[in-house]
Amino acid sequence: MADPELKSKIEELIAANPVLLFMKGTPDMPRCGFSMRVVQVLDRVDVDYGAIDVLPALQPLREVTAEISDWQTFPQLYVYGELLGGCDIIEEMFESGELAEALGVEQPADTKVKVAETAPPAQSPPLQIE
Amino acid sequence: MAADLAELTQMIEAALPGAEVEVIDETGTGDHLRATVSAPQFEGLSRIDQHRLVKAAVKERFDDGTIHALSVKTSVPS
Repeated sequence: MADPELKSKIEELIAANPVLLFMKGTPDMPRCGFSMRVVQVLDRVDVDYGAIDVLPALQPLREVTAEISDWQTFPQLYVYGELLGGCDIIEEMFESGELAEALGVEQPADTKVKVAETAPPAQSPPLQIE
Repeated sequence: MAADLAELTQMIEAALPGAEVEVIDETGTGDHLRATVSAPQFEGLSRIDQHRLVKAAVKERFDDGTIHALSVKTSVPS
């Protein structure tokens, strides 16, 4: 059972941020390959988004998202209050143009996700999503 | 315990009768499983709901620790 205080805080954040990403690490320094891939997609569609690093409170946040949206793995992208998906779904929706539509932005002409030119710690081996 | 791909396939097929299901082990280590599921039940559902149905079908194997990660790709049969 999720911590009620944390849960209401998370619900407020989801309501307050039209596009909100729960991820392992930060957009500048993702700590998981799957989170990094979602960050890259969001960069490609060029949308402003909020990001929450789940690592400091992984288990409590799993319990919260299990209750809020029946989903326990991260990353999770919320758009206008609804869970849109994790890495698989976001990449698929990006390629099909559904993501741009859901976000209300224009689909970039080139949907190939660019690999970062510099070599940030992001390219260390992805951590396993449990 | 290694993940039993045939069992996972059957669990998904049982939950979604009429579905075409393929479960593969991408790395041969049992860590990176991928399920490709095409099911008539997906019609009209958002992708996240489609994935929820697939994950729910194999929930038991997540709960008992047999599998840790399952990539899912869903489609509606044409």
